[in-house]
Amino acid sequence: MSTPTQTAAAQRAGVKTPKKKGSDQGVVEQKSAAQVWGKSAMLGIILLWCLFPFFWLIMTSLKKGNNALNSPNIFKGPFGLQNYEAVFAQDFHLNLRNSLAIAGVTTILCVVIGSFAAYALARLPLKRKIMLLGGVLAVSLFPPVALVPPLYELWRTLGLLNTWEGLYIPYTSFTLPLTIFILTTFFASIPKDLEEAARVDGASPFKAFYKIILPLAAPGVFAAAIIIFVSAWNEFLLASTFAPRGPEVAQTVPVAIAAFTGAVQFQRPVGTITAACVVVTIPMIIVALVFQKRIVSGLTAGSVKG
Amino acid sequence: MTATTTAEEKEPASGGSGRPARARRKEMSETTLGRVFVTPAIFLMALVALFPVIYAFVISLQGYTGRQNEGFAGIDNYVTALTDDRFWTSLQFTLIFTVTSVAAEFLIGLGFALLMNQAFRGRGLTRAAILVPWVIPTVIAAQMWFFMFNVTPGFINSLFGLGDFSWLGQSGWASFAIIFADVWKTAPFVALLLLAGLQTIPGDVYEGARVDGATMFQRFWYITMPLLKPAILVALLFRTVEALRVYDLPQVMTGGAFDTESLSILVQQYVVRTPDPGLGSALSTITFILILGVGLVFVNLLGKDLVIGEEDSK
Repeated sequence: MSTPTQTAAAQRAGVKTPKKKGSDQGVVEQKSAAQVWGKSAMLGIILLWCLFPFFWLIMTSLKKGNNALNSPNIFKGPFGLQNYEAVFAQDFHLNLRNSLAIAGVTTILCVVIGSFAAYALARLPLKRKIMLLGGVLAVSLFPPVALVPPLYELWRTLGLLNTWEGLYIPYTSFTLPLTIFILTTFFASIPKDLEEAARVDGASPFKAFYKIILPLAAPGVFAAAIIIFVSAWNEFLLASTFAPRGPEVAQTVPVAIAAFTGAVQFQRPVGTITAACVVVTIPMIIVALVFQKRIVSGLTAGSVKG
Repeated sequence: MTATTTAEEKEPASGGSGRPARARRKEMSETTLGRVFVTPAIFLMALVALFPVIYAFVISLQGYTGRQNEGFAGIDNYVTALTDDRFWTSLQFTLIFTVTSVAAEFLIGLGFALLMNQAFRGRGLTRAAILVPWVIPTVIAAQMWFFMFNVTPGFINSLFGLGDFSWLGQSGWASFAIIFADVWKTAPFVALLLLAGLQTIPGDVYEGARVDGATMFQRFWYITMPLLKPAILVALLFRTVEALRVYDLPQVMTGGAFDTESLSILVQQYVVRTPDPGLGSALSTITFILILGVGLVFVNLLGKDLVIGEEDSK
């Protein structure tokens, strides 16, 4: 999704430079096979950057006993699944349940409320649309920490500390701006003729939305859903303040991982922590790889637009 | 709930524009539907974003002993906050963190994006790999880099033969480790945004310039950079605002020790560990104004058109 400004600028630049189609071919062919491979080899740097730390994490998590703490050599065994057994002995499955529930509810709420708002902003006649979008943008710039003292007091009075509601309510309102930006872009990219045809055939505006537009925007909605889920799943500040302990109530995965602290600071149980990290990260990486194209389109739509 | 009712009450006034009476009763007009559709979102954002900020300001004017309210205190909390060295130290760390991490992420991200835009083989694989740091929770990235930098097991020290160098146990290097972890996690994300910008630049622009004899550097500086400017500004805006909020990395890697306490850690401290709702709210209000202010400066630089998009503003 290119912004109008970008496209216009590109066209202006395109007009200024003379186009000589004939000689282009020669320039392109001058690139030798070696150059092509050289450039691809440099991609190796990016791969190493992105993947090596994760590889280190897996190798460390597989080390047995004190080996994880004492030996910096990642290839030196003995290896085993001991650390993984330790993770689930610490009620980590309850943390996973809490995180799944909280991130799941956040995603559903955001997608439902966000697609209504995005459709209205993209398509329906609304007064003060610019002001509304400006407000949404302002909320997306909000530092979550500004909410921590007042919401803590409020949640304490309402009894929402250490509950799922206490987390997914602020998550939803914080993720809504991003959802609205992503979905507005997707809705705006659907040709208007389709709805107009539906309206001519007698469909109500609401019917036109859920029968015509929503199915067409499904890939965009799905992309938004993954991004919302990931950001809710990863949130730490509010989670560690409003539900700091108690896997059986609402403690989420990031809070549990940060809390796997040993008796003395700087002496954390490295084996257990790395194993817990791997347990959480592998499903997320699989999801990221499977839906790679959709996530990228959602992320760039949300950000390039606003 | 209340919000929906209000929207429906307004219906007869707005729905009467040319639609038959029968249809008006049975179905909502587009204007009404628009209102009904945006109301829940606005209501929720106002309830959990705008209202607490106002409430924080109210609390910040009250005095507290522990959690006991001691009545109106005027600007005392602000005076305490602004005369406390701890506030200035954490502000300094937050600003240094923001400037260095965003600058490094931008340069590395731009490098990655240019590489990926050029290469033909392995692009899909790289694009998939680049999502890995993005999808890893920040707390996990923090734990991972904590152990890699830490003296035990000492992976980074053994890699560079540094012996027992204590990265996380002294000021300066502790900040470096935190910034490094942030750059690792976020530079690929910046690359992704800039790559999307690069791909909107049509290839024949470059071919034309090449025919005219522009060098590689000239092509980059006079074509790529100006055309990429909107994407760069958007990436910088979101990265800067996010970096100013930094909490997870220093909290997990050092707990805020060795001059790595960020503003968010400082505020959080007065909520749970040493409760003082008044001072905490004063600090959160100051942080809020600071971050929103920086954000709005960026938005002004960007211009309204780019952010909102033309088809939306019509």
